[in-house]
Amino acid sequence: MLDGILIGLATAFTLQNIAFVIMGCLVGTFIGMLPGLGPMSAIALMIPIAASLEPSAGIILMAAVYYGAIFGGSTSSILINAPGVASTVATSFDGYPMAKSGKAGKALAIAAYSSFSGGVIAALLLLVSAPYLASVSLSFQSTDYFALMVLGLSAVAAFAGKGEVLKALLMTVVGLMLSTVGTDQTVGVPRFTLGMLDLVDGISFLLLVMATFALSEALMAIIKKVDEGKRDEERRAASQLGSMAVTKEEVKEMVPVIGRSSVLGFLIGVLPGAGATIASFLAYGTEQRIAGPEKGKLFGKGSVRGLSAPETANNAAATGSFVPLLTLGIPGSGTTAIMLGALIGYGIQPGPRLYIDQPDVFWSVIISMWLGNIILLVLNLPLIPYIARVLAIPARFLLPLILFFSLIGVYFVSFNTFDIQLMVLFGLAATILRLLSFPMAPMILGFILGGMMEENLRRALLINNDSWSFLWNRPLTLAILLIAAACLFVPVLIPMFKKMRKDTKATSASAD
Amino acid sequence: MSLSKDRIGGILILLFCLIYAWQSQNIKLLPFQLNSAFHARTVPEVLAVLGVGLSLLVIVFPGTGEGVKWRELNWPLGLSFLVLMSAYGLAVRPAGFLLSTSLFLMVGFAMLGERNIARLLLVAVPLVVAFWALMNYGLSVFIDPLPSFLRS
Repeated sequence: MLDGILIGLATAFTLQNIAFVIMGCLVGTFIGMLPGLGPMSAIALMIPIAASLEPSAGIILMAAVYYGAIFGGSTSSILINAPGVASTVATSFDGYPMAKSGKAGKALAIAAYSSFSGGVIAALLLLVSAPYLASVSLSFQSTDYFALMVLGLSAVAAFAGKGEVLKALLMTVVGLMLSTVGTDQTVGVPRFTLGMLDLVDGISFLLLVMATFALSEALMAIIKKVDEGKRDEERRAASQLGSMAVTKEEVKEMVPVIGRSSVLGFLIGVLPGAGATIASFLAYGTEQRIAGPEKGKLFGKGSVRGLSAPETANNAAATGSFVPLLTLGIPGSGTTAIMLGALIGYGIQPGPRLYIDQPDVFWSVIISMWLGNIILLVLNLPLIPYIARVLAIPARFLLPLILFFSLIGVYFVSFNTFDIQLMVLFGLAATILRLLSFPMAPMILGFILGGMMEENLRRALLINNDSWSFLWNRPLTLAILLIAAACLFVPVLIPMFKKMRKDTKATSASAD
Repeated sequence: MSLSKDRIGGILILLFCLIYAWQSQNIKLLPFQLNSAFHARTVPEVLAVLGVGLSLLVIVFPGTGEGVKWRELNWPLGLSFLVLMSAYGLAVRPAGFLLSTSLFLMVGFAMLGERNIARLLLVAVPLVVAFWALMNYGLSVFIDPLPSFLRS
């Protein structure tokens, strides 16, 4: 492991890569701060630039953009109560009341220290656990991989919100469907190309991500009328931050919260499909219970613990979500799905062999996480008053610019104008679906995993002489598939059982 | 049965799945694939069945009864932007990057309410030129800056 850490240090600590971490953190914070644009859009917007770099530099840049965007999202949650992403919603519960009472600078500092600590502790846990997990997963066969991908997709259902399970599953299937467009990998038969040469290579994942996130986000902002009064309030909040000093008592209060929330966030982040949002809410809820009745009452009114817990947990979970990506090659979240797509674009197959075949990529990503967190604390925090001015850019200039960067990002990779037209079409479809509250992240997960899943299934069948018996003959495959089935059916069945029990109680009560 | 958000979305995706199912039957199979357990149509067919089934479930058991407030949304403006983006896609090659992008941004700013022509020009043109220079000289991503009739 020590060799690996040294390789990682040597790769990450080059002048060029440090510059990319700084740039990534700044750009990520800038984009993440824009209401509506989250880490997924931020990474997607950086892919065209990352594609022109060597793999480790590109991945380091994207990872830095990721933390930067999470940090930026927290900033807009605290300052204007407009979380850029779901994972920073819990931050606004106590961050915004704190900002409203004139302590915006303090709230930002607490958020930054908590994010930093959560990120650093989780990166340490990743450093220790990833190589062991990777060495265990070396014994995995294509049947197990197929089962793991099924688990990854069904976990989407387990962690979907109330009433969202069916929609999340449906969107996953739509993503899988889109992944089948193009030439079939094994026999070279074109599928769903509608006779168009431009579709023979399939749909570019970058195009899909840009259209469904950045483009549709800007389009939604355009069709929902801009509230100028709210924009004025945002401008005011961005210009008055107050002191950023944190007292000794506040630090004492934060330390145990950070310890607990880091571990909790990391563990939740490792679970496929769970991610930073669930981690932040869970950490918030846990701390509220632990705080006791007196301190618990302060939650929602500007509590230091209430702000520190979700901030620590969401950053720790963001780091934790790299575990399944780096060790199994399976993305645990929408963001890591985009990272996986980028790695595949480089010709790198993430998975258990990554740390053996490409140790520089594996270790430099982990080391860059520490570096990224340090940069966020040392550089971004003092710069926040200046970066926050992005909130003051009028929407009439900002929105066309986002549209332009999305379109040109895709065009600069393929130089095919057909992609722009396809993007417009997907942008329209995604905007309509988002207005109808259909989630987009499961679709991206399905799209990324679709091709790999089909390939592993085909290989498994080939090894087993076209027999499906591998599904139940290999204990590991069977166990993973059973967990996947539980993930799929438990969220659907529990409400049904609850309803049935309620109905039975109501009937027996009326009979009495 | 009211048309809630979930039901409208379910119906739209059901239509998509039905078209997908119909198109999956147009995938040509090679002779040796006809009797194999897994071929190019297997996954699309399974997905089509899953997609149709799930979208029917969403339509029958919607998670929310909430409707969409279509009237509160500025659809003409949204559609105009879609047309603008499509036109940009058609123009970027023949008109060159600098001209087409500057026009795209200026029209976009104007559509969202900016009326000051000097400001339109001062924001769009320097930004486009700087971006082109950064891509061309900084990252070695070349794109034709000038319209086709001015290229040598």
